[in-house]
Amino acid sequence: MTPPPWLSTLASYLGQVTLHSVVMGVIFYAWAHRVRLPSGRTKRHLLALLLVLPPITAAIPGRATVEFGERLAWLNSARLLAVPLPGGLHLIHLLLAVAVAFTALTIWQEVIPSFERVDRSAAAAPSSLVALARALPGWEHCAVSVSPGPATMLVTTGVPGRPRLVISRGALRTLTVPQLDVAIRHEHAHWIGGRWWWSHALFAIRLLQSGNPVALWVFREYCLEIEIDCDAIAATGPNVAVLARVLLTVYQDTGPRDMATRHALRRRVDVLLGGGPANAALPAATVLAASGIMLVVLPWLV
Amino acid sequence: MARVTGLGSFVVITLLVLAGLRSVHLAVPIAFPETRPGPIAIDTLDDVRRVVGFAPVIPAYHPAALGALPTRITGILSPSAMVTIVWQTPEAYLSVTTRRDRSRPTASPLAVPLADRPDASWWFEGSRAHALVARDGLWIEVETSLGEQELRRFVDTLSHY
Repeated sequence: MTPPPWLSTLASYLGQVTLHSVVMGVIFYAWAHRVRLPSGRTKRHLLALLLVLPPITAAIPGRATVEFGERLAWLNSARLLAVPLPGGLHLIHLLLAVAVAFTALTIWQEVIPSFERVDRSAAAAPSSLVALARALPGWEHCAVSVSPGPATMLVTTGVPGRPRLVISRGALRTLTVPQLDVAIRHEHAHWIGGRWWWSHALFAIRLLQSGNPVALWVFREYCLEIEIDCDAIAATGPNVAVLARVLLTVYQDTGPRDMATRHALRRRVDVLLGGGPANAALPAATVLAASGIMLVVLPWLV
Repeated sequence: MARVTGLGSFVVITLLVLAGLRSVHLAVPIAFPETRPGPIAIDTLDDVRRVVGFAPVIPAYHPAALGALPTRITGILSPSAMVTIVWQTPEAYLSVTTRRDRSRPTASPLAVPLADRPDASWWFEGSRAHALVARDGLWIEVETSLGEQELRRFVDTLSHY
């Protein structure tokens, strides 16, 4: 059966997105390492650009012809993809297998959990906790419930205007009122300053790049940076130590096999106790100039 | 005016990455010649050997109606190397395709051997005369609007450029 033409166009486009993403990722990673870029706004912006720019540069028309790839392009990835491998295979087959594996990983680790997040067995929360949450700006109608899980966990779901805060029974048991207060403030920070919209928009762009390992890594780093940002908003002054204690409690509740979560929690505590994120590590003009350079350079890679 | 600081290292890193990518772009076809696909527009007959790896075969006989220089030269490297050279004017058309391939290109079922030339067959397709010639391990296909006699002269005078 011959695949429809739009399918090969889409596959070719996604391949180009991945190529640009990988090249840009290598450049930005090396740059961030070189300038010792700390957590903060600049890093968030660079990570967001890493997700947004490749789909734009890969969509610039007139680059799909063999003529362009062979005579004008700086790099023609068709040459690389055609490199022969043992067994009559080519490099493209290996990369397709990687893309399929990462798509499956995305569905398993990110798409399915996003549907399972709301615990249907959640019970109503104590009125003091509801009052604590509803005192925060924009959360006057926030639904608060308690899930039966023993682990220390606070999450928010819902959409702007209809947020829902879920606190585990384990969190109610282990956290003090000041700790719950700062943890709820952290969750609230996710819903202000456009963070909810940005995170969801970038998640949609990231899903478009499901088979791209760089997009997977970038989005996870972006989520961690958002957590660090929300930590800084929720905890100032003496509350820093309170939030750090909450994070350590969650760390102790996290199994040693969940190394990614434990690593993220350690980073959050380090940044929190190290004075918080550096929000002006590089001038905005520098980030703009770097983006402009990428916009000019990437279309010449096909 | 906003300050731009820290961009120097970004530019250096970008240039290094681009240099690496260019090296890969140039090195891969040298290591694996079959990876370069085409079609590639070639500027002059002198460039054909560099691009497709063999000298083109063209007829020494060249009526003035075709014009002096080829209208276009196109090379393809995969699955088999070939080059097509076209001369075209409002009055006349000639294309010569040289292919380095073990398998014989498809000819018309109406093709018949060219008189006194066992290595060539010819046929008409519409108003154009075609000839398929095997020479020096190459397949050469000639197509012209100038008729059978001129086709014969083209085939008789085919030689490496």
